Amino acid sequence: MAGRVEWVLLAYRIPREPSTPRITVWRKLKRLGVAQIVDGLVALPLDARTKEQLEWIADEIIDASGEATIWVGRLGSVCQERALASRMAASVAEEYQAVVDAAQETADDAAMSSRTLARLRRELRRIGQRDYFPPVQRERAHQAVGTLANAVETTSR
Amino acid sequence: MRWATRAGCHVDRAACAWLIRRFLDSDAVFVFVDDPDEVPPDATAFDMPGAELSHHGGDCTFETMLRRHDLDDPVLWELGKAVHEADLADERFDAPEAAGLDMICRGLSMVLGDDEVVAVTGPLFDGLYEFRRRALMLGRDPA
Repeated sequence: MAGRVEWVLLAYRIPREPSTPRITVWRKLKRLGVAQIVDGLVALPLDARTKEQLEWIADEIIDASGEATIWVGRLGSVCQERALASRMAASVAEEYQAVVDAAQETADDAAMSSRTLARLRRELRRIGQRDYFPPVQRERAHQAVGTLANAVETTSR
Repeated sequence: MRWATRAGCHVDRAACAWLIRRFLDSDAVFVFVDDPDEVPPDATAFDMPGAELSHHGGDCTFETMLRRHDLDDPVLWELGKAVHEADLADERFDAPEAAGLDMICRGLSMVLGDDEVVAVTGPLFDGLYEFRRRALMLGRDPA
């Protein structure tokens, strides 16, 4: 993450009521793993996919009588950029850690394990979709789920 | 007729191009542009911000096309679930094939141009359509 990431930003305002579109938009932004810069301004590292996803959400905000614009930009200093990337990494790190904990907790319970394994694999895929600056916990989570998978396979044999 | 969409053809656009050729306009010609402003005046835009045939109310463009063109073939709607999940992954539907479909289309767009992606994914969607059609008739997955 040393240098000069380009970002795509969504600046938006959406009416407080009705609340359904506002909540839908927020959920979608969460799923994409956006960094909230200030109220009504969110950012993702720029690529064709992230830009497109934010553009769809912008359209949806406008459909809901809100205002939305898409910007492409760069942070003023490497230091600020690193801080933003670290913040995003820390947020997915927490999610990965939760997977590690869940995998280790169920490892002793053979009956529970196989169902948990399927759930955690789905969860890893979900987190992977919003992991732009992989933290060390990513590897740990994948290893923990791998260990659980081996345990499940051993008990079912 | 000419149809315009944005360059970088991923699953939703590839699926729409297939749908257009197979069900709406067998002579369709596709134009790929970088910006909505570049859509030729005689072309119908799809899967672009601001276009009528685009994401609406949580639907992906493929689903919008089915709605706007009154395509009520249940097989197409089954296919739409896979396209929706491959494009949006919002877990509105259970479509386990979606993750693979997304990866295949993204990979193809890395090694092929947009026209070629449309050409290559045609038989892919033909096959998925046929699988879904038989599954619907049989009430179970076909052999």
